[in-house]
Amino acid sequence: MGPYTITYFGVRGRCGAMRIMMADQGQEWKEILMDFADWMKGDLKASCVFGQLPKFEDGGLVLYQSNAILRHLGRNHDAYGKDGKEAALIDMMCDGVEDLRLKYGKMIYQEYDTGKDPYIKDLPNHLDKFEAVMAKNKTGFLVGDKPSFADYSLFEVLLNHLVLCSSCLDTSPSLKSFVEKMSARPKIKAFLGSDAYKKLPINGNGKQ
Amino acid sequence: MSLTLTYFPVRGRAEVIRVMLKDQGAEFDEKVITMEMWTESTLKASCLFGQLPIFEDGDLTLYQTNAIRRHLARKLGLYGKDQREAALIDMMDEALQDLLNKYIKLMFEKDDSGKEGYLKALPTGLKPFEKTLSSNKGGFLVGDKISLADYALVLLLIHHQVLSPPCLDAFPSLQSYLKRLCARPNLHAYLHSDDFKSRPIIPGKRA
Repeated sequence: MGPYTITYFGVRGRCGAMRIMMADQGQEWKEILMDFADWMKGDLKASCVFGQLPKFEDGGLVLYQSNAILRHLGRNHDAYGKDGKEAALIDMMCDGVEDLRLKYGKMIYQEYDTGKDPYIKDLPNHLDKFEAVMAKNKTGFLVGDKPSFADYSLFEVLLNHLVLCSSCLDTSPSLKSFVEKMSARPKIKAFLGSDAYKKLPINGNGKQ
Repeated sequence: MSLTLTYFPVRGRAEVIRVMLKDQGAEFDEKVITMEMWTESTLKASCLFGQLPIFEDGDLTLYQTNAIRRHLARKLGLYGKDQREAALIDMMDEALQDLLNKYIKLMFEKDDSGKEGYLKALPTGLKPFEKTLSSNKGGFLVGDKISLADYALVLLLIHHQVLSPPCLDAFPSLQSYLKRLCARPNLHAYLHSDDFKSRPIIPGKRA
């Protein structure tokens, strides 16, 4: 496996989770940060299978679609459960996180001014599903007893939600503890403290 | 394996599960939940994300259509021959989900005002799949066997031909792929069955 390269815009966006995952797994990767004006020139865009970033390279394998990339990293780094049953449950949780990402993205990019407060108000109705799973599993991870790509995705989306509303996990003790424990993992802590992480805005329109 | 699908009496998001299982000759039971049952029972509250489908495989209960599909793909050997193919299948499938989400949004619109814009944008969405099929000599999206992603594409194409019959005119590889896949004996039988034909795409919207 490797070397890994990400080509993306200068934001966390849909690469946030995979970066945290690779960092935690002790993986090095190259970042090609795409200036939006260059992107609009169209040469790279035309070469991307679906005309979108991120583009991910694992040696000679070129992948698009952030959740496909997360699953690929999950297979590479034994972060896809210990058996078929765990794999299915991990997929289920990651799909649930993706639904939350879509709602968050819609609010951020389309309805921030009017939609932010209702979104925050409605948030417990979505977070409580993850809270219930996390509380039931007792290991500190969503499925099984080690971090899966679903955990990295959930962790990253929760970090972004804490920026949106710093008290949003106050009624979700298991999620709050999950975020604290993940943040304290040495390689994640180092990455979150790095300029590489801190310099990038979460979203492309500057809203958060 | 004892498989049970619980869903509304529509195609919706679960049809692709039915298509895959039928084509593979895998037996499964169906529990049909009407809107009345959904709003008046405690079933919704018992579902992890408050949504259908539910899928049971023995003592494993799964939610989230794509997690269910991936689970079945692993079981039925529809996930490529190695890790590289699995990643490419995931990539194709994720892009197909983007198209499916747009299609479902259109289906739920109250009037036809969005249809023109949708159809204008459709070729851009279909082009990557036309390109992939024309360059992959194996005859499927990835490798030389049908996969998870192929079932998503074939159903999407079937529904789009209903939505706008000429929509594949500019895409010869998609046309021949659709024809070939729909001729697979089990799939052909299912697509011509009353079971499939009578099931609306979404509530109130017949194919």
